[in-house]
Amino acid sequence: MTFETVIQSIFTSLFLVSVIRISTPIIFPALGSLVSVKAGASNKALEGLMLVGAFTGVMVSAYTGNVWLAVLCGMVVAVLISALLAIFHLYLGTDLFIGSLAVNMMCSGGTTFLMYIITGDKGNTGNLASLSVPNVHIPFIKDIPFIGEVLSGHNVFTYLAFFLTFVIYIFLYRTRYGVSLRAVGENPEAATSLGINVKRVRMTALIISGVLSSLGGMNLSMAYLQMFARDMSAGRGWIGLASVSLGGKKPLGTMLAAVLFGFSDAIANQFGSLDIPAQLVTMIPYATTIIALVVYAIQQRRAILSRMKKFQKENEEQLKGAPEKSE
Amino acid sequence: MKNLFKSKGFREFLRVLIALAIGITLGFIITLFVSESPIEAYKSFLFGPLTRLNRIGDWLEDSLTLVLVGLAMCIVFTAGQWYIGAEGQMILGALISGVVILFVPLPPALRITLAFVVSAIVGFLWAVVPAFLKAYLNANELITSLMLNTIAIKAFEYFLKYYIMPEGSRTLTSARVPKDLQLPSFIPDIPILSSIRELWMKQTSVSIIVYIAIAAVIAVYYLLYKTPFGYELRTVGSNKKFARYGGININRTVLLAMTVSGIFAGIAGTHLTLAIHNRLIVGMSSGMGFEGVNIAILARLNPLLVPISSLLYGYMRAGAEVMERTTDVSRELVMVIQAVILLLVTAERLMPTIQQRIDHANEGNNINDGKIKGGINDI
Repeated sequence: MTFETVIQSIFTSLFLVSVIRISTPIIFPALGSLVSVKAGASNKALEGLMLVGAFTGVMVSAYTGNVWLAVLCGMVVAVLISALLAIFHLYLGTDLFIGSLAVNMMCSGGTTFLMYIITGDKGNTGNLASLSVPNVHIPFIKDIPFIGEVLSGHNVFTYLAFFLTFVIYIFLYRTRYGVSLRAVGENPEAATSLGINVKRVRMTALIISGVLSSLGGMNLSMAYLQMFARDMSAGRGWIGLASVSLGGKKPLGTMLAAVLFGFSDAIANQFGSLDIPAQLVTMIPYATTIIALVVYAIQQRRAILSRMKKFQKENEEQLKGAPEKSE
Repeated sequence: MKNLFKSKGFREFLRVLIALAIGITLGFIITLFVSESPIEAYKSFLFGPLTRLNRIGDWLEDSLTLVLVGLAMCIVFTAGQWYIGAEGQMILGALISGVVILFVPLPPALRITLAFVVSAIVGFLWAVVPAFLKAYLNANELITSLMLNTIAIKAFEYFLKYYIMPEGSRTLTSARVPKDLQLPSFIPDIPILSSIRELWMKQTSVSIIVYIAIAAVIAVYYLLYKTPFGYELRTVGSNKKFARYGGININRTVLLAMTVSGIFAGIAGTHLTLAIHNRLIVGMSSGMGFEGVNIAILARLNPLLVPISSLLYGYMRAGAEVMERTTDVSRELVMVIQAVILLLVTAERLMPTIQQRIDHANEGNNINDGKIKGGINDI
């Protein structure tokens, strides 16, 4: 394959489909992270929660044959684990970052441990007949030539991810609970004085972020692939975390940032067919994350500087006048 | 005696002890459910590392790597930076020392020294990127360091596959490090000790890194608590605003904290190549970079306690390996135990509630017979 064919393939509907497909497992943890960040308790255990979600989903679907029960169980387990983290952080004084690392370690070790017990394999659950969620073909839209190919035929989780972006937006900005959640994040003391129970709100936020991450994990193991593999989240939780700061801590921005990372991932996949060493190609998404963070940081700094200059100009008289008065 | 029980150090020691007990008990309960011979399995986990000399060697070797990584994490955490890039620094340190050992034509002693120096420099330089981004652009060091870890691992695989792997080799490993280029044993080559030295050399590869690790512990302690730089580091870590008010150059401190920590992680990488694996092999760091986080936390960021917590973690690692090899329980169990311990150790409000009640009761006693108590304490 030559470079030209790769470039050409980027402008096909297939490429856009793969962007959407790859972005989905980043959008979920990114939204989860967003909710917890907004409540002032940034959940960094997304990786681990994705893993338990993915693992539970695969196991329950393989042994009960019911996909929706599996999804439910995956969410319930994630609720339990994020509640454990929340209790340790909020009521027992564990630092949230260290607690998150502990949860990540527990989930990574625990899923591998259980996988070995159940399947006798430490790598993946390829020998289990687990199920995947169905794909959705949207009526009418699927018949439109280009758009139909891009928008229709994805799995349920993909639509859920984009739908949840709007749900989270409405939750955070248009509901009473969302407003108090943001208040807790911005000024816990003021929120307390208004009678908001800070700990309970943060607990809810951490649990919501856990559920969202577990959906991301199940998207990996029940749609993206049809099995669980050891440490299959592969840094997506952390990239989700980066999406939040890159997206300006807003739902739509976060989602777009996650899609940007999905885009770079998809391009890396395309380059994979060229004669470039695979190790270098797989670096691309991680390098993109760093570059994106840097660009964002520089832009932020510029914005602050220009605001400062504007303030200086507007208040030039006052700033000059101040020392005279004191004399 | 009362003062001892009341002291902060003792309380923290007690908390670590309780956390350990709970973690190990929980591990046993899990083993009961999954193993056909749970008692056998847990025995090999708890006592396995002590049963043979080569297992003791494995334990000490892992612990020594962990000491160096733990020290690296101590430095950055003391500066209040959530930087966990030790894994990447270590793997690159291992890579570069492998390159030096295999390809630089120098006499053995010089080559080994060069390997140490170069890997320390590489560890230092690798941290410059996230440190610079954090200090001057305020980019989240946690994410950048994690991403750089993955990039470092991929780079390791790339260089190994395309430049270092001997031609015709089927597995993704480098050539073995020749015997005379491996790190010498930690037991000095003198007649009285020659038989012990031979035995240890045959069964283990505990090398002179013992002395380097001890020196590193003292150096980091000195650096953090006895130098102006250490003072700046601790001030930045505990109160940034105060540090700025006091005229400390925060950017420089943050930059140096991360890069200096890289020196120790890089040396840990050299230890991996020249003593433990004796070649470059994919996955040679086996997650030790992340375990450094646990070790630093368990040691309460005190460099002098790092060796103790490293020996503890190294013991658990070695025990888990023995358990996996001899019984049907896999070693990942130990990750769960370690996570529980980490959660419990950092749960600061778990113990004090009990402790406060004891204190309260004691205070009452002190008022009642204050004079007698005071007299005893004076002596």
